[in-house]
Amino acid sequence: MKAVTVRTRGPADGRPSLPGRHGRYRGETYYGRPALKAAHWDWTVSSYIFLTGLAGAAQAIAAIGQALDRQRYRGLLRNARFLSSIGSAAGAGLLIADLKTPKRFYNMLRILRPTSPMSFGSYILGAFGGLSWLSALGELLPGRGRLARLVRRSADAVQVGAGIAGAGASTYTAALMASTSTPFWAAAPRWLGLQFATSAVASAAATLSLAERWGGRTDNSRRLDRLAALATAAHLLASLGARRQRRDKGLGETGDTPQGRRLEMGDLVIGGAVPLAAYALHRLTHERAPALSVVGSLAVIAGGFLLRHGTLNAGHESARRPRAYFRFAQPEHLPRDRSVIRLGPPR
Amino acid sequence: MDQQLTPYTTEAERTAGVRIEPGKRYGFFTDTTVCIGCKACEVACKEWNQLPAEDMSLTGMSYDNTGALSATTWRHVAFIEQVRPAQDHDRDADVPGRWLMMSDVCKHCSNAPCLEACPTGAIFRTEFDTVVVQQDICNGCGYCVPACPFGVVAIDDCDGKAHKCTLCYDRLKGGLEPACAKVCPTDSIRFGELSELDAAARDRVEELKAQGVEEAYLYGAPDAPGATGGLGRLNAFFLLVDRPEVYNLPSAPTRPSQRIGAALGAGLVAFAGLAAAAVTLLAGTRNGGGR
Repeated sequence: MKAVTVRTRGPADGRPSLPGRHGRYRGETYYGRPALKAAHWDWTVSSYIFLTGLAGAAQAIAAIGQALDRQRYRGLLRNARFLSSIGSAAGAGLLIADLKTPKRFYNMLRILRPTSPMSFGSYILGAFGGLSWLSALGELLPGRGRLARLVRRSADAVQVGAGIAGAGASTYTAALMASTSTPFWAAAPRWLGLQFATSAVASAAATLSLAERWGGRTDNSRRLDRLAALATAAHLLASLGARRQRRDKGLGETGDTPQGRRLEMGDLVIGGAVPLAAYALHRLTHERAPALSVVGSLAVIAGGFLLRHGTLNAGHESARRPRAYFRFAQPEHLPRDRSVIRLGPPR
Repeated sequence: MDQQLTPYTTEAERTAGVRIEPGKRYGFFTDTTVCIGCKACEVACKEWNQLPAEDMSLTGMSYDNTGALSATTWRHVAFIEQVRPAQDHDRDADVPGRWLMMSDVCKHCSNAPCLEACPTGAIFRTEFDTVVVQQDICNGCGYCVPACPFGVVAIDDCDGKAHKCTLCYDRLKGGLEPACAKVCPTDSIRFGELSELDAAARDRVEELKAQGVEEAYLYGAPDAPGATGGLGRLNAFFLLVDRPEVYNLPSAPTRPSQRIGAALGAGLVAFAGLAAAAVTLLAGTRNGGGR
């Protein structure tokens, strides 16, 4: 008996493809019913992603400020420490509220699984929250006593760690969404990472800038505005890149749904064009109208949330649309280097 | 393995010709060409696993009133009615179209995305190379649900846990073949050791081709469509005669965990770049910051 070979058409680089006669995908579905199940995540998860992004980047900016000029940035340091300790606690609360069996929340720390951003992210959040509270303790103990000085010194020492954990906390959420089968999240993993990181830095800089302006430290606010503007510009590029890659991978239709439009409106306009225009106008008018800086900062913060919430909802919509998934899950979109199928012995 | 042989531990040998032993790989081969759409598999699964009934209304699209796999439906028979337009069967009057039926189930992937996503360790690989959710550990985070490339696993809102086909883990432990395979009257669902199922599936494709069913192919077998993108082979695999999307299956699903590095790496690089920019932007002691 001769061995069965399935005739294949398409790239001859070892990628399995369909028997020749099936040809290209022409929009077939099973009565238009979803082929995937969407995550149950709602505003609690998008708020968590936004909040940890903001808090994480705030701690990183604070660590940089502390290293550069602790005296000048001591207000910023204080704000960032309180913001991040409250933010990480609220974030953990939001995540537990999102569980369908919240009383078993501690099972999140039962194992550590590198293939699950939900698993290693719990540890990142734990480390970030712990270090943030330690750093905030340094602000809570006034006085000149031995203990107070020791606490303050250790708070300064953990600040770098809090900044690094903050970098992890504000970016792992991109991996959390990208490493699913939800096509809108999965189609542009690199761009999603860039989007979340730049948005986190922009919204943290904007929030700290507002606080500095409130505290009368206008010069610090000006510097933070520049950082926010730079991060927003980078973010706009990342968002355009994500948009393009998603369209290349068959998700143009999802981009044109109300959910996709709302994401673009919130992310590109409110979180991109509006703050860049406000910051530019602020500079051009020689900073005579502080309201422009405030408007820019508020738009950046709002845009940061709308990016996360819009991406979440567009993802849900893409999971409900079988054609969006089937177009994405075609052989031509398989990763080039990892398409070889492993045929290991039983494990 | 020193196993005590009782009438039960050897039952699968009598009903399916399969000896169930820990450490070997088991799965389903579903030959859709002999499925008659009786839904006995759905009923047997609900009976054995004590799964409650769902919405009892009609979908109105076909004889498929189950609709989809869910937390309480672990076998789902799809009915695909391919009726040709009227002008076509005037010319070719013998058959006005065809019905395709397929009993869908959890694929028990080799590199199972649900298992890789599970942060609690509730989802594990059994000694029979199947993938099972431990109900006493699952905390209902729901991350396995978007992870699955086939839309199989689901959260039940009544108990707040994730559920899916266990490949009758309890029955396998007792030496019984899974309920759906045992009840299938046409042997469309075949349970067995993967190496034996693979050989039987290849033979069946060849047999069908010899009979003129040129479009027959395997989905989820090694190197076949469905077993793509790092998923490895699917322990529950299928023989199909139309493209996978017709059966609500993706042609080239991928393993989600392969995207972690790209997303996290790009994010951290961007973050570090902006941190470096922050060092320059926040530096300087004079008011005005270099203006």
